[in-house]
Amino acid sequence: MKPFKHHNAYSIEEALTLLRDYEGRARLIAGGTDLIGILKGDILLDYPEALINIKTIPDLDGIKEDGKGLKIGALTRLSHIVRSPVIEDKYGLLEEAARSVGTPEIRNMGTIGGNLCQDTRCWYYRYPNQMGGRIVCYRKGEGPCYAIKGDNRYHAIMEGKGCFAVCPSDIAIALTALDAEFMIASTGGERVVPITDFYQTLGHVLKPDEILTKILVPKPPDNATQTFLKYRLRESVDFAIVSVASVISLEGGICRDASIALGAVAPVPIKAIEAEQIIKGKPLDAKTAEEAAEAAVADAKPLSMNAYKIEVTKILLQRAIMA
Amino acid sequence: MSKDYRFIGKRTPRKDALEIVTGKATYIGDITKSELLYGKVLRSPYPHARIKDIDTAKAEAVPGVAAVLTHKNVPDWRTGMPRHVPVLDRKARFVGDAVAIIAAETEEIAIEALDLIDVEYEKLPAVYDVEEAMEPDAPQLHDDFPGNLVDGFPVFGPKTLSEVVVGDVEKGFEEADIISEGTYGYESIANPLPIEPPGVIARWEDEHRLTVWSGTQSASWHRFIMQSKMGYPDIRAIDTQCGGSFGSKNYAPLPLFYAAALAKATGRPVKVCFTKEEHLGAFVLRPGSRFRGKIGIKRDGTVTAVSGVWFVDTGAFSDMTQGQVAVGCGEAQLMLRCPNWDLRTRLVCTNRSASGVVRGFGGQELESALNPILTMALEKASLDPVQFFKKNYVKPGDGYIWREGNYWVSRGTDYSETMDKGAEAFGWKEKWKGWLKPTAINGARRTGVGVGVHGNADVGEDESEAYVRLNPDATATIYVSVSESGMGQRSSLCKMAAEVLQLPLERTHVTPADTMVNPFDFGLVGSRGTYAVGSAVIKAAEDARHKLLDLAAPKLEAAPEDLETMDGMIYLKERPEEGISWSRAMGIMQTCMGFGRFEPDYSVPNFLIQFVEVEVDTETGRVDLRRVVSATDVGQIIDPPSLEGQLHGALGSAGIDTALFEESIWDRTTGHMLNINMIDYKWRTFLDLPQFENVILETPLPTHRFKAIGVGEIATSPGPGAVRMAVSNALGKRVSEYPLTPDKILKALGKMGRGKTE
Amino acid sequence: MSSMKEQERQKIAFTVNDVSYELEVGDQFNQVAPSHTLAHTLRETLGLTGTKVGCDQGACGSCTVIMDGEPVLSCMILTVECDGRYIVTIEGLQDRRTGRLDPLQQAFIDNTAFQCGFCTPGMIMAAKSLLEKNPFPDEQDVKEALAGHYCRCISHYHVVEAVLEAAKKGR
Repeated sequence: MKPFKHHNAYSIEEALTLLRDYEGRARLIAGGTDLIGILKGDILLDYPEALINIKTIPDLDGIKEDGKGLKIGALTRLSHIVRSPVIEDKYGLLEEAARSVGTPEIRNMGTIGGNLCQDTRCWYYRYPNQMGGRIVCYRKGEGPCYAIKGDNRYHAIMEGKGCFAVCPSDIAIALTALDAEFMIASTGGERVVPITDFYQTLGHVLKPDEILTKILVPKPPDNATQTFLKYRLRESVDFAIVSVASVISLEGGICRDASIALGAVAPVPIKAIEAEQIIKGKPLDAKTAEEAAEAAVADAKPLSMNAYKIEVTKILLQRAIMA
Repeated sequence: MSKDYRFIGKRTPRKDALEIVTGKATYIGDITKSELLYGKVLRSPYPHARIKDIDTAKAEAVPGVAAVLTHKNVPDWRTGMPRHVPVLDRKARFVGDAVAIIAAETEEIAIEALDLIDVEYEKLPAVYDVEEAMEPDAPQLHDDFPGNLVDGFPVFGPKTLSEVVVGDVEKGFEEADIISEGTYGYESIANPLPIEPPGVIARWEDEHRLTVWSGTQSASWHRFIMQSKMGYPDIRAIDTQCGGSFGSKNYAPLPLFYAAALAKATGRPVKVCFTKEEHLGAFVLRPGSRFRGKIGIKRDGTVTAVSGVWFVDTGAFSDMTQGQVAVGCGEAQLMLRCPNWDLRTRLVCTNRSASGVVRGFGGQELESALNPILTMALEKASLDPVQFFKKNYVKPGDGYIWREGNYWVSRGTDYSETMDKGAEAFGWKEKWKGWLKPTAINGARRTGVGVGVHGNADVGEDESEAYVRLNPDATATIYVSVSESGMGQRSSLCKMAAEVLQLPLERTHVTPADTMVNPFDFGLVGSRGTYAVGSAVIKAAEDARHKLLDLAAPKLEAAPEDLETMDGMIYLKERPEEGISWSRAMGIMQTCMGFGRFEPDYSVPNFLIQFVEVEVDTETGRVDLRRVVSATDVGQIIDPPSLEGQLHGALGSAGIDTALFEESIWDRTTGHMLNINMIDYKWRTFLDLPQFENVILETPLPTHRFKAIGVGEIATSPGPGAVRMAVSNALGKRVSEYPLTPDKILKALGKMGRGKTE
Repeated sequence: MSSMKEQERQKIAFTVNDVSYELEVGDQFNQVAPSHTLAHTLRETLGLTGTKVGCDQGACGSCTVIMDGEPVLSCMILTVECDGRYIVTIEGLQDRRTGRLDPLQQAFIDNTAFQCGFCTPGMIMAAKSLLEKNPFPDEQDVKEALAGHYCRCISHYHVVEAVLEAAKKGR
């Protein structure tokens, strides 16, 4: 890698001070499983002058549960989320999503905050500089989106605007279905942002002087069926081609409540609101599921090579509803 | 079936096992030399461009940079077939092509200096499709190759096969009951992608002598092939343990050029180790393959005529691809016994990184592209493919024209029993429901089965030599130019010598792979290690043994024929208790040196049949490989786990998965390789393992003393066609593309959803 | 607040295979640059070349070492962030004085659970960590533990057998 300076921050204030002092030329490093790859590939137009290690900040990890829900520190390793008895017991959707990420070693290193904030995997965006020069594209601030005319088999089928790369985080999809909120610290104080406001087309909304500190997950209904379906070519390593996360409650055979999120279909996690509306108050049968699935993709605008993702999304959604 | 030997056929620990499991096995990345410099490559942003100007002054001025070379100042060496690939050229022919090279004290300094080289490019139009590249107005990649058609090259002698023209195809087609024709491709252009990227250290000992360290599959290629390309320096090639090769790291000509050129310019040793990105985007890929032709068969499965053109896409240049064309033409004849052929070939350049030697060596490419045409004919005749292969795979007494253009008659086995045993183990009779019929339907999930065959007469290719030296302390040293890249051959050759000499394995050693020390060996290609290299080692061991017994005979007052040796003792056969030691027989200041040489023999084709079972989710389009059964006859197993490992290798090295998810993906407007990392390039993980069974027969073959033959190379080749067949059967529809990713499956099922296409 | 310069780490101390190291942070030979990965430091600075680098992208598992009891990818870890860590590499498994191998190493030999051997150290470390946490794994547990390990020779089947055998013998 090209050189950089390295600082350990021992408190949030220190980290924020360093960020401010470097005036945008420093980056936070948590687990590093995404950032180190970005630096090695030298894919971005600016290379940081310094890395600020936040793993040295105490109390930014940990899983706490009370009657209302979970508080997960942003530095909690993915493997701890997988191993957490309370998450496995009551927030199974989150556990499944975490368990599906990468590989065991990556889960030992990667943090939930890092996973939520990770950069997109678009292969134009990620093209390594050493192999003929990084690709400068819309997402990087200059140039077109190469996926539009190029190979977009893994790109967005909805909500693409200028950039058609998809949000790669499985945890984000699970947390969208779980209606999570994020606690964000800055020099100005703390703010809480619902996950549905945390992402926009070009990535997360964190400002240069902000740090994600906690993930708040309200307790899902006791008897809700939590499902996470991750469609990919292989059972390990791969990011999702399409994913669906759902929390569905039934009462007397009728759907009482539904929260459904779609992943890897858009630059942001998608809350499948139309599908939720269709199945609420109805018995869950194949016909209703199909209707909901059709509604969920009604506004899909596929590119030249990814129309198949529409079909896969519909199928996954139906399977999640009927689970 | 097989004899009961002491070592041969028995499970024995591999000789390098201890080093491997303790991390002591030494690969090229693990060694350093004093005053070593690190070499790095500046690569082209364009798929096709002329270098109008290149200014390296700023890069040269960086502290720690020892040399910067461009086409202007590299030595005039050339590689490729014919010699059309200079160390650095005035042109870039693919995104990532080498433009300049730097040697510096550290890799970081070299990379930093790369950014300071100023290049002015004149962009040229690029071409990516093999037939488009042949059109009159196509961009021309090489001045030497008008129409981008690469010249033939007598890689295997003046009659090297570049076409198969035999008999009378017109008559053959008239005799056919069924003719099937079309144009189909096997264009995954996958990467064998061994785990270790290629790397070379080069050091000039003086103006004339060059020492090269590298982890390669064939220990001598850096000497005997590269010498002629570099003005005949005296090259000493030393091999480190090789982290996988599958053909692609038989040698590393361009990394060697870069390291040697920089070493010459700086007067210091230079190490060039490719990164994984370079390994993916600027190193050996499978050739692309497209077949346009027809096959005629009779209803009883007799093949009456094969005609067509085989288009082979070699990317930016050809290094050995003519060899793959030749062997592909040969292997097609092994698979399809047919008196009438008119098979022509075209070798074409396109603007992507170059193809090179890959396991399957042309046969996998041709057969996978032929496969849809062949299976359509079988389908029309309602022929069971296993019966068809039994009828048509070359039998003892059948003839074929092999790669060097000579006619050979097979002395091999009739592999029908192998096919039957494989079919039995797989349950073929129960699972095969007929063409385009699924084996089972379970809701949206459909199961289908398929089968493929492959074989190669290269098991006896090329020359090998070996010495075996018997030492007074009852150890034996085998001098053979053999490196270790995964086949376990260095260890297996010890077993062969140990068996001849009846010495414990611990007392049998192979010399380091060093061309200064060892006699000639062509290399470990085409599964020749067992037969060809084995023969040389066995002969050398027998020769040494004779000499030893000649020395012992007077001391035991016997004739040498009456003597036996075991565990370092020599004795009369009837009086084993009255032996003398080797040291008494030869004296402690003497050794016994035996020599053996193997001359090429292309008369014993090997064989492998592979059955596959796939399950297709017809709603999501995903195809899962559930079960693989490979069946082969090796004559005699030398080392059971090494053989099993080689057969399991079907799931690696751009084999069966090129039909499922493995491919190199380029953007055909910008020319970038898109899946140029280990996540987007798909490979099989521990959680995706199918059930895998090997059925191994041992019918003694007329090869050498142990009647054995190698099969490692062919393990990958039947798979892609078999999977294509299985998926077609599962869906009840013919699919013909590789790889069969979900989008292709859903398209075949008419389920693409709304969209700009369909 | 401390200045940016003061907060930079000056020395990194960690243990590898029960040997303690203290390295200075800096750009000189034998120092640790902030951009050095643990794999680089282990191999180039400390001469422990048993840990292999296959992809340098965190996607093949060859560089796996055990750090504070967890298998991690040393090519994706910065050495300057390893202060105070307890690291075990492949070189740490064999008892150096007696030569006795870890049961896993012996099982890999007995099952020829390798072909080219490049992925082997990483796999053994991941398997070692698995057996430390779960002495009774089944086949699926083994495959899941190794789910991030690239082996192109396809020694997978033998590797699974070797790990299960080592688990049995270790008990």
